[in-house]
Amino acid sequence: MTTHFITAEIDLTADPAELPKAVEAELEKRGEPLRWAVTAVDETTQQAKVEAVVTTDTATVDT
Amino acid sequence: MNQRPYTAVLIVPTGIGAAVGGYAGDALPVARALAAVVDTLITHPNVLNGAQLYWPLANSLYVEGYGLDRFAAGEWGLAPVHRNRVGLLLDADIEPELRGCHLQAADAARATLGLDLTDYVLTDAPLGVTLRQAESGATWGTLENPGAMLRAAERLVNAGADAIAIVARFPDDTDAEALHQYRHGQGVDALAGAEAVISHLLVRQFQIPCAHAPALAPLPFDATIAPKSAAEELGHTFLPCVLAGLSRAPQFVTTPGNVPAKTVWAEQVDAVMVPVSACGGSAVLSLSRRCQVIAVEENTTTLSVSPETLGISVLRVRSYLEAIGAIAAHRAGVSPAALSTAISPLSPLS
Repeated sequence: MTTHFITAEIDLTADPAELPKAVEAELEKRGEPLRWAVTAVDETTQQAKVEAVVTTDTATVDT
Repeated sequence: MNQRPYTAVLIVPTGIGAAVGGYAGDALPVARALAAVVDTLITHPNVLNGAQLYWPLANSLYVEGYGLDRFAAGEWGLAPVHRNRVGLLLDADIEPELRGCHLQAADAARATLGLDLTDYVLTDAPLGVTLRQAESGATWGTLENPGAMLRAAERLVNAGADAIAIVARFPDDTDAEALHQYRHGQGVDALAGAEAVISHLLVRQFQIPCAHAPALAPLPFDATIAPKSAAEELGHTFLPCVLAGLSRAPQFVTTPGNVPAKTVWAEQVDAVMVPVSACGGSAVLSLSRRCQVIAVEENTTTLSVSPETLGISVLRVRSYLEAIGAIAAHRAGVSPAALSTAISPLSPLS
């Protein structure tokens, strides 16, 4: 297992309570989500910037 | 009393320079005051840990961040316990003398506080903690050898540990200016993000309470240390608060069968309190439609993720004093508007 810091841009959801599922689905494309937070919001594009640490079974991950 | 218990969650995310709670357990006074006006307070190690200082709160649940996220999402329950047997996991990279200091702290917790610990386990390789500060200003971290940590934890679980206290050797050569700022009550805790990654990994893997204390070389005495940071200047280990917190931390209920009595679930949460600029965490988002969200303006952070930008409906308050008043009013069924100097008359619904 390896740990990786990554960032991602994710569309906001109409219901904020649904955003965690959307974030984790996006992060799962790059590893198993471990810890994340929305660290900025672009109100024009309605996108959230997410900083995260994911784990993978391999040593490489796209950042 | 014919009301159901009132449950509040207090969140101060770690590693984002929170003006209250970004230093050495300096949100603990908020937790103590809040605990006095609720039946159950759910909060996390960053709030309750003050290195060698801590304060047992009989009605609080000490929940590590990964478990708190799963709880808030409605996936895990929190089952209160009378005691946990704590397993101590030490990074092989800790120098022998510093390791001895931590073992003495653990023995002191056994002898002086009566805590129950298993024998300790050393990792079979250094964990290799690496620190990072992201563009947002938040601190994060990664491990070179997470597998070594998980193998050691598995040995503790097999030895009967109900909870795991881990001590990892953290780098001493961090940014000198950032360290100076932190010791003087400013800036961001460089270690905090990596600490959270460590405890998240353990909780995700084993689904039992876990918390972390860093092992660091002692720093030279400085007479100008800020009170908010001073708890971490008292000695050579931050382990006592972790052991005390874990000794009575709730167990996670992760499967539907055999749910213990008194298990707390997300739908029982009445209110969550969070810094106004840090509303983008998983737990706050998950709870945002279930309960009253109280956003504290005075607790500034490096972030600027307001509840409004995410579509979260909140009660904004200026300070924690006001936030605790808002909780008391909410519990009493009193509208906050009724506590102001003027109340607008009702109008026809448009």
